[in-house]
Order: sequence, then C-alpha cells, then structure tokens
Amino acid sequence: MTWTCEHIEARLSDYLDGLLSPDERHAFDMHANSCENCGQMVASVSQLVGGLHSMEQIETPPRLVYAILNQTLGPRAAKKGWQSSFGWLRGFTSARFAYYGVSVAATLLILLTASGISLRKPKLADLSPANVYRNVDRQAHLVYARSTKFVSDLRVVYEIQSRLNKDNELSTTPESTVPQSTPGKAPGSTDGTRPATPRQQNRANGLGRELEILASELPVASGQWCGRLLVRRIP
Amino acid sequence: MALCNFWGKLVTVAGFEADDTLEQDAQLVQQCLQGDGSAWEELVRRHTRRIFNICYRFTGNGTEAEDLSQDVFLRVYKTLGSYRSAHGGFATWMTSVTRNLLIDHYRRTKRDRITDSLEDAMPVVENKESAGRRPDQQLLLGELSSQVQTALTKLSPELREAVILRDLQQLDYNEIRQVLDVPEGTVKSRINRGRIEMARILQQMGVRPS
Repeated sequence: MTWTCEHIEARLSDYLDGLLSPDERHAFDMHANSCENCGQMVASVSQLVGGLHSMEQIETPPRLVYAILNQTLGPRAAKKGWQSSFGWLRGFTSARFAYYGVSVAATLLILLTASGISLRKPKLADLSPANVYRNVDRQAHLVYARSTKFVSDLRVVYEIQSRLNKDNELSTTPESTVPQSTPGKAPGSTDGTRPATPRQQNRANGLGRELEILASELPVASGQWCGRLLVRRIP
Repeated sequence: MALCNFWGKLVTVAGFEADDTLEQDAQLVQQCLQGDGSAWEELVRRHTRRIFNICYRFTGNGTEAEDLSQDVFLRVYKTLGSYRSAHGGFATWMTSVTRNLLIDHYRRTKRDRITDSLEDAMPVVENKESAGRRPDQQLLLGELSSQVQTALTKLSPELREAVILRDLQQLDYNEIRQVLDVPEGTVKSRINRGRIEMARILQQMGVRPS
C-alpha cells in the first residue's frame, strides 16, 4: 500500500514513538523521502520532540513548598527564646551527621598520626610542609622497618615450630607401631629393650641434620636449647 | 547510549515508572490519612517540582504557576481520602487533579486573557536572533526554551496538555489516558496534532529545520 500525505500526518507520532510495524515504517519512509513537504514536516516535528525531551525541569521557587505547607498544615508556630536561636543545631543531632563526623574525625586522626604530629604536645612548627614531609617519610620508613622485622621474626618462629612439631611427632609415635619382640615366638631380643626400627633411625638422623643446619642459621640459639636438642636426639 | 541515559534520567525525574516510588507514595498517603503531618510534608516536597512544571508549561507564567500549584496541593490535601491506589499511582491521580484545575483556570481567565494573535507575536519573537541558526543546535543547547514555551501557549488547551504530559512529563499513553479521562486513540491523536501544530508555529516564528 502506498502512503499519502494524510497517512504521514496521521501516523507521524507513531513513527517517532516507534509504534509502526516494519512494513508501515518502510511505507512511511518511502513517502517521506519522496515528498518534500512531508519530509520537512517529519524533520521539524522530530526536532521539536527532541528539543522538548531535552528541556530541563524548571526549578521550583523555594518559598513555594513553605507556602503550600502553610496553606495545608497551617502556619508553623514561631519558636521563641533559645529554641529559635539554636533551632539550626537540630540538624547536627541526626544519625547521618554523627556518622559523617566520626568518619571525618577518624580520617583526620589517621592523617595526623601519619604526618607525625604529636597530639599531646602540638607545635606550630609541626605544620610546616618541610616538617610534615620529614615526619611522613620517617613514619613510613619506621612502619616498613617494623613490618619487615615482624615478618622475619614470624618466619623464624614458624620454622622452629614446624621442626619441633616434627620432633614431637617422632617421639609420640604409638607403641603399637613399634615392633614388639615376642618372647617364646621369636629368637633373641628378650631383654625388654625396644630397639628403633631402621625407618625411625633414618628420620632421627634426618632431623638431626636439619637441626644442625638451623643451629648454624641461628647462632644465638645454637648454643642453648638447639645444642641440647642435638645432644638429646642424635644417638 | 547517552540519549538513553538522558531519557532514563528524565523518566526518573518524572517519577512515574519506579515501583518503589509508587509504594513510597502509597505509604505516605496512608500516613497522611492517619494524621501524620511529616508524611504530608514529604509528599509535598516530592511532587512540588513536577506539579509546578506542569502549571508553568501550561500557563507560561511563573506567578500563575505558583498560585495554581498551591491550589493543586490544597485540593489534594482536602480530597486525599478519595484517592484509591487501586485506580493508579498517586502521581497520576495528582496530575489528574492538576489538569482539572488548569482547565478550570483556563476557562475562568479566558475572557480576561489578552489573546494576542500569532501574527502579532511573530515579529517580536523573530527579532530574538533566532534567524540564521540551525534549529537542532538551538534545541539541543536549550536556547529555544522561551520560543518553545511561546509556541506551547499558542496551542489549544487540549493539545497543549497532551504535549506537556507526553513530551515534557514523559508520561506513557496509558497514564495520559487516565489523567485526561479520554480513550487512548484520542490521546494519540491529540499528541500528534499538538506536535505538528507546534512545529508549524515554531516554523512561522522563524525556527526552520535545516
């Protein structure tokens, strides 16, 4: 079906709002492209609609809300005395303001601590940029050194602990796993002693070697309990 | 994409599509009916801007728009008990009240109003350096606001309200049908005629498409 100018005018808003079927849209485009008047009309209305959509909402006069509230709820009773003077402070008591206040205070505290400003003995000189920079640099280096030392200490402690655990594991091996000599059934070894198995011997030797290495890495500890461990564990 | 975002923002401002907005409005209305003054204050703050904009676009006059907005809220306050959420959103109901008041106002002031003809207004508007510029530039830059407002007030009230609700308040056809209390076909026809008529008025004012 071929569309006429009347069709175009009647369905223009449907076209702009995307409510035409593909066939109708094709017929619309065919006519609008071939008819100068309709083409101009489509272009101008399309631009008008775009302009209307991009128009911003007008700001409401501030007094309007109060005027409406006065008309409907009645005029507010004017506060007298100290209430009228300190009424503006009511906003500070809200939970949101308290939250913001705590956040700001915490941030300031962190910043002041990081910049090395002493809160107990504040000095004006602490606020000079050079001093602030020096303090921040010093604090950063201190934190780095402390954290490095802490990590290093932790590593040593865990290493010692893991090796001691291995040692404890070895000493608390259940007796059921140790082969018992059975008098009367097996010849020899009837004196009540429990000789270590070859596997246990190997583990003990390995542990001894590891402790020797650890003792060499930790010269302070080597002369004390590590040495004693070596004496006690290595047969 | 940017256009979609902008459109979405406008729709959000219009406050019609969001379910949570509808629920909040319904809740506030219930609280108002129970005598909660702060709930009414919240309703007023939420809808004043939209109602003022409708009134301003319809009348083209800030003072009249303020007075009419106050009348709208006064009527809503008095008739809040008659609102039924089952018949539609509170915003739609409020827009309907606004529309009725605007039409009443239009009829009441018809005799007093100075109905300057389009031919009289044209030379004044054309002098406003509108000639020689691309209309799309002017529209997109928002420089045509006053011309568009002038053209809008030249429309008949039926076409004007349809264009305002559709293109400035971004209501969908169903909401406009509820507000105007006319069939959807009539709504579409009025919007279409309003847009074409307005484009012709702007063209006569010297704003021509490239």
